[in-house]
Amino acid sequence: MEYLHTDWAAMTRNDWIGVTFTVLAFVAMIAVYIMVFNPRNKDGFAAQADMALRDEGDENNSGDKK
Amino acid sequence: MEAHAKSVTVKYDMDVVRWFTIAAVIFGVVGTFIGVYVASELAWPFLNFDMAEITFGRLRPLHTNAVIFAFGGNVLFATGYYIVQRTGATKLWSNKLAWFHFWGWQTIIVCAVITLPLGLSQGKEYAELPWWVDIMIAVVWLSYGLNYVMTNVIRTTSHMYVSNWFTMGMIVMITYLHVVNSMAIPVDWATSYSIYSGVQDAMIQWWWGHNAVGFYLTGGFLGIMYYFIPKQSGRPVFSYRLSVLHFWTLSFGYVWLGAHHLQYTALPDWTGSLGAAISLAMIIPSWGGAMNGMMTLSGAWDKLRTDYILRFLVTAMAFYAMSTFDGPVMAIKSVNALSHYTDWTVGHVHAGALGWMSMISFGALYHMVKKLWNTEMYSDRLVNIHFWIALIGAVTYVVAMWVSGIMQGLMWRDYDEYGTLTYTFVESVSAMHPYYVMRAVGGAIFNLGTWVMLFNVVMTIRQASATRATNPVAARA
Repeated sequence: MEYLHTDWAAMTRNDWIGVTFTVLAFVAMIAVYIMVFNPRNKDGFAAQADMALRDEGDENNSGDKK
Repeated sequence: MEAHAKSVTVKYDMDVVRWFTIAAVIFGVVGTFIGVYVASELAWPFLNFDMAEITFGRLRPLHTNAVIFAFGGNVLFATGYYIVQRTGATKLWSNKLAWFHFWGWQTIIVCAVITLPLGLSQGKEYAELPWWVDIMIAVVWLSYGLNYVMTNVIRTTSHMYVSNWFTMGMIVMITYLHVVNSMAIPVDWATSYSIYSGVQDAMIQWWWGHNAVGFYLTGGFLGIMYYFIPKQSGRPVFSYRLSVLHFWTLSFGYVWLGAHHLQYTALPDWTGSLGAAISLAMIIPSWGGAMNGMMTLSGAWDKLRTDYILRFLVTAMAFYAMSTFDGPVMAIKSVNALSHYTDWTVGHVHAGALGWMSMISFGALYHMVKKLWNTEMYSDRLVNIHFWIALIGAVTYVVAMWVSGIMQGLMWRDYDEYGTLTYTFVESVSAMHPYYVMRAVGGAIFNLGTWVMLFNVVMTIRQASATRATNPVAARA
């Protein structure tokens, strides 16, 4: 436990900025995992698996943007 | 599969892609040739010829810059512009900016060829070039970033393919890393001093160094993998969901690893422990991505018998898996105590550079040459020969350095019953000689393969030009 001890009173402004960014990055990472593993998004991702195969030919006719 | 709501006809901007492709093939030869020369200097030091400009200390950064930024850079730009247009069903946002990017990047390479042998160096690993070249790199890189992002913005497909995410992740992170790492006070045109000092300088150096590996040599080339393996095998990505997870996990994870280069230094102990822990955790997404690439061949494994380009791409995945296991193991403190400062590190880097980065590049370049010049390869047999030469060369090199590195580490730490070191340092250097010869031979074999590729590509382009001249209609078919 000594190894994990933190002297909170000694934290500088830079330390707090670093901690804040680290926690935000961690939360964002969890949010991305939830998005990727959400069963509702499964079919949406799977539908793009063959995207690289749709662009054959010198000229392209696959634009599907509304 | 999505319905195509609107039909558009797009003529891509592929001339600049052709030029980047040719530059990549040429710099593949040049970069590995310099590598063979510096490896030979370590085995046979007389090759210095007492000329400062060609000593190991000056040519080694030229080799790393040539293979990473000249060969690797031109591969990334060629494939990036190729993929973003085809998956976005659009032309480049600015063809002129792409040409500025091409000539700007080649000018930077010329600057490296002049300054590094002259001994002008900032002494930072993979960031040796003088401060004014750093500014040129930032300008040219931003032109690439702007063009790439805007091409994605104007795409006509609703989804942005995962390869483009990997490339944009690389663009964003390399911009940030290059600018922060290169902060320096210029004294004159040749000299500058880093604004960081002591342990902060070391930490910034390896924050840049490992993330250049993570986002440029890994992320950028994973973008290539996720396009060209499905393309060459004619199979959809095994799990697109896993590819998205792969991208985000690498993006969040890689930035923590740099401190594992600085175990047992003045850096706080916890930073090294954190670097090691996250390094081990990174095996999971890395292997997930490698399996995703390999499993994309499900139902098409038989193609490996006849499709030599696919062999390059799949072998690259095997090396990717191997080096992303080797690296985290080396990050563990007890292993690092043995491996650090030895040739094991050199072997690890080249398992990635020769086996992963180069193999995936060769596969992608062959694929693009056929498409860009609308022809078959001049000789498929030479592609196969190149594959085996490259594989034998890479394995010879890596095995030599692994054995040499572990032997070095064991000799350095061995002591007798009185606590005295068993071997002097020079004895360990002497013991390395056979492995340094083996490394030079392995590198030379690998370099021979790049000459075979250059010949084959030149003949393919000449063949395509001849066909176009005699029969323009057939050439377009």
